[in-house]
Amino acid sequence: MSRFNSHEGRQTSGPSRRWVLSAAAGMALTAACSAPGNSSVGAGAKSAAGKAVSTTAPKGSVTLNLYVETGFPLPVKLAEEFQKQYPNVKVKIRQDQFAVITQNAPRVMASSDAPDLIRIPTIVASAKDGLLADLDGYARAYGWDKYSTGLIDQMRVSDKGVRGSGPLYALGIGYNITGIFYNKTLAAKIGMTNPPSTVAELESLLAKAKKAGIQPIVQFNDIGGVNFPFQALLNQYEDPSKIANWVFDRPGADLDTPATVKAADKIASWGAKGYFTSDANALTYTDMMSRFEKGGGLFMFNGDWESQNLAKSMGKNVGFFLAPPASAGGRLVAMSAPATYAIPAKSKNIATVAFFLNWVHTNSKARKIIVDVTGSSPGGPTDLALPAVADGSVVAQTLQATNDLAQKGVAVDFTANATAGIYANTIKPELQKLITGRETGAGFAKKLQADYEKELSQ
Amino acid sequence: MTLLSDRTALSGRRDPASPRPGPRLRARRWAGLLFVLPALVPYTVFVLRPLVVSAQYSLYDWNGIGAARFVGVDNYRRVLTSSEQLTPILHAFELILFFTVIPVCLGLVTAALLHGLPNGPLATTARVVLFIPQVIPLVAAALAWSWVYSSDGVLNQFLRTIGLGSWSRAWLGDFTWAFTAVGLVGSWVSLGLCTLLLITGINKIDPTLYDAARIDGAGPVQEFMAVTLPGLRREIGVCVTVTVIAALASFDIVYVTTQGGPGTQTLVPGLQIFQLAFTQREVGLASATAIVLMVLVLLVVTPLQRISRGAE
Amino acid sequence: MNHRVPQLIAGRVMLVLFMAATAIPFLSLFTTALAPQNTTPHGISWPSHPHWHNFVDAFHAADLMPLLGSSLLIVLGVVPVALALAAAAGYGLAVLGFPGARIVFGLLLVGLTVPTESLITPLYYQLESMGLLNTRWALVLPLMGLFMPFSVVWMRTFYLSLPKELTEAASVDGAGPWTVFRRVHLPLARPALSSLAILLFLWTWNQFLLAIALIDDPAKRTVAGALGAFQGHYGTNVVLLSAGSLLIMLPAVLVFVIFQRHFVTALLQGAVKG
Repeated sequence: MSRFNSHEGRQTSGPSRRWVLSAAAGMALTAACSAPGNSSVGAGAKSAAGKAVSTTAPKGSVTLNLYVETGFPLPVKLAEEFQKQYPNVKVKIRQDQFAVITQNAPRVMASSDAPDLIRIPTIVASAKDGLLADLDGYARAYGWDKYSTGLIDQMRVSDKGVRGSGPLYALGIGYNITGIFYNKTLAAKIGMTNPPSTVAELESLLAKAKKAGIQPIVQFNDIGGVNFPFQALLNQYEDPSKIANWVFDRPGADLDTPATVKAADKIASWGAKGYFTSDANALTYTDMMSRFEKGGGLFMFNGDWESQNLAKSMGKNVGFFLAPPASAGGRLVAMSAPATYAIPAKSKNIATVAFFLNWVHTNSKARKIIVDVTGSSPGGPTDLALPAVADGSVVAQTLQATNDLAQKGVAVDFTANATAGIYANTIKPELQKLITGRETGAGFAKKLQADYEKELSQ
Repeated sequence: MTLLSDRTALSGRRDPASPRPGPRLRARRWAGLLFVLPALVPYTVFVLRPLVVSAQYSLYDWNGIGAARFVGVDNYRRVLTSSEQLTPILHAFELILFFTVIPVCLGLVTAALLHGLPNGPLATTARVVLFIPQVIPLVAAALAWSWVYSSDGVLNQFLRTIGLGSWSRAWLGDFTWAFTAVGLVGSWVSLGLCTLLLITGINKIDPTLYDAARIDGAGPVQEFMAVTLPGLRREIGVCVTVTVIAALASFDIVYVTTQGGPGTQTLVPGLQIFQLAFTQREVGLASATAIVLMVLVLLVVTPLQRISRGAE
Repeated sequence: MNHRVPQLIAGRVMLVLFMAATAIPFLSLFTTALAPQNTTPHGISWPSHPHWHNFVDAFHAADLMPLLGSSLLIVLGVVPVALALAAAAGYGLAVLGFPGARIVFGLLLVGLTVPTESLITPLYYQLESMGLLNTRWALVLPLMGLFMPFSVVWMRTFYLSLPKELTEAASVDGAGPWTVFRRVHLPLARPALSSLAILLFLWTWNQFLLAIALIDDPAKRTVAGALGAFQGHYGTNVVLLSAGSLLIMLPAVLVFVIFQRHFVTALLQGAVKG
């Protein structure tokens, strides 16, 4: 553009040229006068906290717009049931790939046709920018604040942009936990009768499988899926509250620690020993699923959102356990995060969406749909009975694991959710290097922390 | 007398013999602009204005939503000094080998051998088949290639068939090979266009030049250097210009095949701008990268244009 | 000229090799698309029982009909208007001329090399403030602007190739510029315009970056832009994904094969003039 401007500087002879230039450049330059930034969406969304909120069923015809991820039918099924029970509500659903939603979310919510409910993995930046509706008023009115605090607090953001406290900005639809799925036939071949009770036992199973010519782990890593096993190990070595602080962007949070180095070194050694597939760095999530379903490996680190799918494709041949603690009898720590859904501050139907979210947590049909479709826990009031599932199925195992975790374990959010860029910029490329011997555990930990601080300082 | 006529020649319009420009003619002088203006409107609003705005964004630290902070040339300093920002730019230049050098060389050899596409079924088939990569969306091509390169793909199947099974790997996830694999998709896209363009161009070379070269006792290689290469200068210029822009500004292929991975092995400026702007919401840095990319393209393409136009 | 024979054979062999290399990715997609669903076929292997029905299933699974409709709408929004604007502007620059025409032409030349990536960020915020984000206008209007440099330069080159006497003869008859344009130049420009139409159709149909950045709803995108969202529709089904990808390429390839001669001429000329 410098070229263009220098033209403009010189061409001042005669009205003709000026005319042409103003035609060509007029609109171009008006834009350049003010600093960018949309002041209409600024600090502080309208707070519902102080006001009385409506908790009555929606009346008259209402249209709700949902923006959710493709390949994940749960919201669609819930919307169908909701429309059956409340025929005056029409739910329109827009779907896109998870990565695309992540990219689009802030822009979509700031735009004039913001959806009424959006699947959003990281809420801090959006909450800070005032893009999300404050749900505290509804939380009190509906009693959401009495749900399991370990899960609900993850969706609070303070005015300093720190998660864990402050107003509630989102709710889950299905509360996921992650752990390890295993193929029972292959497990029997290496004499695995019970899930491992320590990391060391897990490692000896991996070694046995490798020796027996069985692929120990199928894990996608084209976009950094080895973060599942990495954090599964980190959770056992590091103080969970330290990890939580880090994910919640608390000031001074630091993960360049011996525990991180240890976990990363272990992942590197698993890579060197061939526990991951040789094509892990090109393996996509869907390829991983289909390979595991077809018996392509002993273990897969994944979340219970797949347990219904796996139950369908593998029947009783699949089992689930939470990542084992470092030493026997240690506390269970697992990555667990709700599939977070937030209401954009610009939504025109906040009360109706809040009613829908409450219905999702409390209506028995809705809860059954959640368990039937995903296998994840529906959350909701702690005294509400869980929908029945078949005994011994993998779904029963994941629901049981959720229960165990709630009672005697600790749930930690995904490190990938700490900042907007950390996953794509650091975790993904670094893990790809780590499992192919191009990065050390110490280098990984250092880079993780450095990039994290760099992003937060901006 | 001479002076006068000189003056008349210089300012013909003032020649008393010719009519003074009446209002109608003056209107006609401007009629051309009226024809051009409608086209300038979308161009100004959707190309020139965004360019100016991009230059402006590049001076700010802005997350796209909140308030922006003026940072001067800081973003440019980051683009031009930090290795994270420089690596993709380097990749873009390395891609020229695959997008430009390989297809142009192969196309030249074929053109020289065939010396113009003979008519017949081969010519028709070649025209259709070699052009298909230009016709389908790059995204679809990239999708097809991802499948070719996958662990169960054709490439590995072929290697196993010829007994090189130990070479088989997931090419797009391999630190050593991913960049080459992505680059070859670019070669595949450019090859047909370059080959056909060069074959068509060689037909236009004066045949007597070849006869003369032969009489002088030139062998095929000398003939190629002395007649074919200079004769195809313009076509080569076109191939190089088009494919170099495609290499420097690549996005679709990388986005679909590797997303810049493994590590940052295949990250290119186009993808980086997209990620910076929409994932990391560093609009200022994204814009600075965008401006640098545009300047680089101009710097590379302008001399290329000169060279190929100079031949005329 | 006998020494030319081995050379010609070598040339033909190379050409055939190039064709094979070009065809392989498609063949691999094709054989995969015919395998039984929910299997993972290896490489290129012709299935014993080709499942042609996979194409029908893929068509339904990805909701291709509205997508094709959307692409068509976008093409219809861009191409005719762009042609009209370029036909007029090229005439204004080449035949009529006006003070400052060189500057305008220079500005357009700069536009020829601007990468779309360099515009995408400001375009996003600009369209947002215009309230056009997530509508098809978000693709139609920027594409029109992006196509102008090439289209105008293309038409200008064409008019310059016409004999000057044409305009002069018509002007002597007292016809104004508009009449001369409509009566003389526009009819003559038909071949140039149809080649340009083909190029603009292709570039619109295949647009990816603008589509994924400016339109969130895949159903409102171009077919190419929807490919990203496409994978999710088939879950883990490689077979259906392959069938769907082939279906998505089909319209462009069909149009190409039908207008083959025009296409090749247009693309070759387009490359030369661009």
